[in-house]
Amino acid sequence: MKLVVLSESPEDEAAIRILVDGILGFQTEHVTPPFRASGWSQHLNVLPSVLKKLHYHTDADALAVVVDSDASAAHRLTHVPHDGASQGCRLCRLRLLSDQVQNSLTEVPNRTQLRTGFGLAIPALEAWLLCGHDPRAIEATLLQRPDAGTRTLRLQLKQDLYRTDRPSSEVRMKRATEEARRLVQILDELERCFPDGFGALARDIRSW
Amino acid sequence: MIESVQFNNLKALRDTTLQLGRFTLIVGPNGSGKSTALWALRAAGDPSLLDFNRAATAGLVVDNSTTVEVALRWGSPHDGATTFARWSTSAQNHWHTFKQELSGDLVKSLSDELDNTLSAIRIYSFDAPSIAAPTSLEPQVTLGSNGRNLAVVLDQLRDSDPERFEALNEELGRWLPEFERILFDTPFGGQKSFLLRTRRGRHKIQASELSQGTLIALAILTLAYIPHPPPIVCFEEPDRGIHPRLLRDIRDAIYRLSYPENHGEKRDPVQVIATTHSPYFLDLYKDHPEEVVIADKVGQEVRFERLSDRADIDEILGDTQLGDAWYSGVLGGVPSHP
Repeated sequence: MKLVVLSESPEDEAAIRILVDGILGFQTEHVTPPFRASGWSQHLNVLPSVLKKLHYHTDADALAVVVDSDASAAHRLTHVPHDGASQGCRLCRLRLLSDQVQNSLTEVPNRTQLRTGFGLAIPALEAWLLCGHDPRAIEATLLQRPDAGTRTLRLQLKQDLYRTDRPSSEVRMKRATEEARRLVQILDELERCFPDGFGALARDIRSW
Repeated sequence: MIESVQFNNLKALRDTTLQLGRFTLIVGPNGSGKSTALWALRAAGDPSLLDFNRAATAGLVVDNSTTVEVALRWGSPHDGATTFARWSTSAQNHWHTFKQELSGDLVKSLSDELDNTLSAIRIYSFDAPSIAAPTSLEPQVTLGSNGRNLAVVLDQLRDSDPERFEALNEELGRWLPEFERILFDTPFGGQKSFLLRTRRGRHKIQASELSQGTLIALAILTLAYIPHPPPIVCFEEPDRGIHPRLLRDIRDAIYRLSYPENHGEKRDPVQVIATTHSPYFLDLYKDHPEEVVIADKVGQEVRFERLSDRADIDEILGDTQLGDAWYSGVLGGVPSHP
């Protein structure tokens, strides 16, 4: 299976790829060059172009997108895309947009529809990567914190994971891939701790 | 470390204060005093670099008492010290003041320390031909403000600290995977130049054949890896010629200078001040608004404002990327016309 990950950085891509492979139970292939979006608003801006490019010009089988929630509304598994999107849920907005774009694509001979998977890291990917290490790395706990969604919490998560809030790309890559490999061994726990944000991604992928 | 710089009547910096941290990124329109602020740091230690007529704000009503002044307030390890530089129509001078009464010997010693720090400030505005040019082999050569001498600085690093040189090669290979190693050549007697060897085919590419972005990236990376960088470093647009996806690496190299403890370095932090016009580079500092200063030009006057000093910054930014917000104008620091 050829998998594309739309992410903010090579480290995020590496971690997400390891998690997706873990859920699938086999190693996916890469499509080059990797796609990037620098931040949430760019994810939303570039997703239509990415979907069209993949559909018309590649033999990619699947696209996985994980964004940080930051201070936006948390995703709920009960969300239907229209309602979730109207409440400001980033995952629902991406899913709704993806559905709209995919429905507008014309058929390409011998091409099946691109499979998609969307995840929402609450409040940031570092929280997933701390799961199992830090008992506070639980979606519900993080959402209830007084500093939920703030820059202070994001910096704290970085500090906890990388021992600095200014990690180099090298350190980020090392830690992200180490922790993602560890999480693959405890995917049930990761899904239990992050049932809405990671759970949504895991369900999407299991449906492929 | 310099905590702040107060400017009076210096070109567009008529009356404003620039707050500084270990790392500070200044954004603003052309002509908003960013470069003037950097050069003022040098001039504060050596007022002869400027004269009153070149330094004074355009249109300033001048009489015998009119002065141009730059005041640097120091933090650790010189807390409470202030360096003043003053230019008038008849004289130029600079001096230091200290928070508490000190003996004459101590004042002299501390003043010398501050003067040494100020004289060691380097302002880098790299250009590709200067970086690539062969360099005369001389002892204790340092990297020039435009990047000249890079070949000899790298050669010295290889000889004096092979481990650092290897680490630099590894980092270069991570930034630019097409290259695997820095090599050296002696094109003429007494001169040194450098080449990069490609990973595939092991071709040797002369420095003069490398792209502008590659050369500037290598110059910044070298500064980050030399064992004794200057105590205060200013970069004019370090993002110039660099692909947006590589800007994170430029940020990392700059953080290596200013937060050495995060990179296993034992040396003192380097205070870094950089300017940029790149929204992509600015995006990288969204989590650290205390490191971003907006230079806002109103009429002929400029005001510096640290992003973290705006109480409503998180509300203004919301989901918007920092670079997009700056480009839109909601943060100020944009040209008033186009």
